[in-house]
Amino acid sequence: MPDGTVVLKVARYRPDRDAVPTFSEYEIPYRDDMVVLDALNAIKDDVDGSLTYRWSCRMGVCGSCGMMVNGEPRLTCAVFLREFRPKPVVVEPLRYFPVIRDLVVDISAFLEKLKEVKPWIVREEEQSVSEGEYLQTPEQVEAYKQFSMCINCMLCYAACPVFGLDDDFIGPAAIALAHRYNLDSRDQGRDERRAILGVHWGAWDCTFVGECSVACPKHVDPAVAIQRTKLDIATTSLKSVLWPFGGRK
Amino acid sequence: MSAERRSHPVYVAPIPRFWWVRTAPFRRFVIRELTSVFVGLFSVVLLLFLLALSRGEQAYRGFLDWLDQPGIVVLQVITLAAVLYHTATSIQLASQIQEVRLGGRTVPRHLLMAAMTGGLIVASAVVAYLTIEL
Repeated sequence: MPDGTVVLKVARYRPDRDAVPTFSEYEIPYRDDMVVLDALNAIKDDVDGSLTYRWSCRMGVCGSCGMMVNGEPRLTCAVFLREFRPKPVVVEPLRYFPVIRDLVVDISAFLEKLKEVKPWIVREEEQSVSEGEYLQTPEQVEAYKQFSMCINCMLCYAACPVFGLDDDFIGPAAIALAHRYNLDSRDQGRDERRAILGVHWGAWDCTFVGECSVACPKHVDPAVAIQRTKLDIATTSLKSVLWPFGGRK
Repeated sequence: MSAERRSHPVYVAPIPRFWWVRTAPFRRFVIRELTSVFVGLFSVVLLLFLLALSRGEQAYRGFLDWLDQPGIVVLQVITLAAVLYHTATSIQLASQIQEVRLGGRTVPRHLLMAAMTGGLIVASAVVAYLTIEL
């Protein structure tokens, strides 16, 4: 049974008819256990089938349903309407991304950046299958585990004013993922990634505002990953100058 | 992706000039960035101090008189406050970034902050002692 109603103000952008996005207001039946995504689904099912947005798993794993909810980047499947009610809930597409339609943003540049940092285990020489798996101790797993929890929801990008001002910035999630592989005992690609991240639109673009880590729903802490990447690049570069034979790897 | 490569139209929201006043964390960030100007100013005054010292007693006394002007004193007080804010936030940020492992365990952040603050206090006390006593 519904417990009254809730009002949502949803950003609409229909490129065939709108020059700029506008807001549409919807009042829908409310239940106390509803999240923002439930409300969007209710609008799409019962009020306006043309409302466009991304979603998939409904349980904070797929990273598809990230949007701006009352000005903050959030996973809409994990934000209860009761957090805002009786005030209206304002839903907008992820900030700083180009909007394709309504709440759907263009993520193709992000996917390019992700690929650029080689987020996979790089080996100088692959171990043969007969030699078995690459074994790791629990401590070696622990070293990178936190940074492996990223679900590519891009909330960190929507929280980052540096990305807003410079869309070339490789950005928090991609750098955190690069850091995750750099910390992996099975990986040998640190030097390659250092060259990719050591550019001014890489780690050095970050001014440590820190809001990416606040926005992250998986507690990855990309801000720390970026600063540690800077530290790694700087110390390696210094060692290569000061130590004989280019320093220790 | 550049706009030229897209096959579909998109809307790109402009960034407001005053984006940094929108939220409290952004304002704190910008205040910290602005205190860097005062850290620079502090360093310039220190260099001028050394320059005056190297030019002999008369130049040194002249520099001290210049520092005693009310406007400069006010500026020094503002500089001190800004430098202290910058130092405190630097310690906070550094303790967040730096992972220190001792005996196979990660040193907790509050201990790192305490160690850095303690080090700073000891260094300041040594400088103060040398300045006053020598």
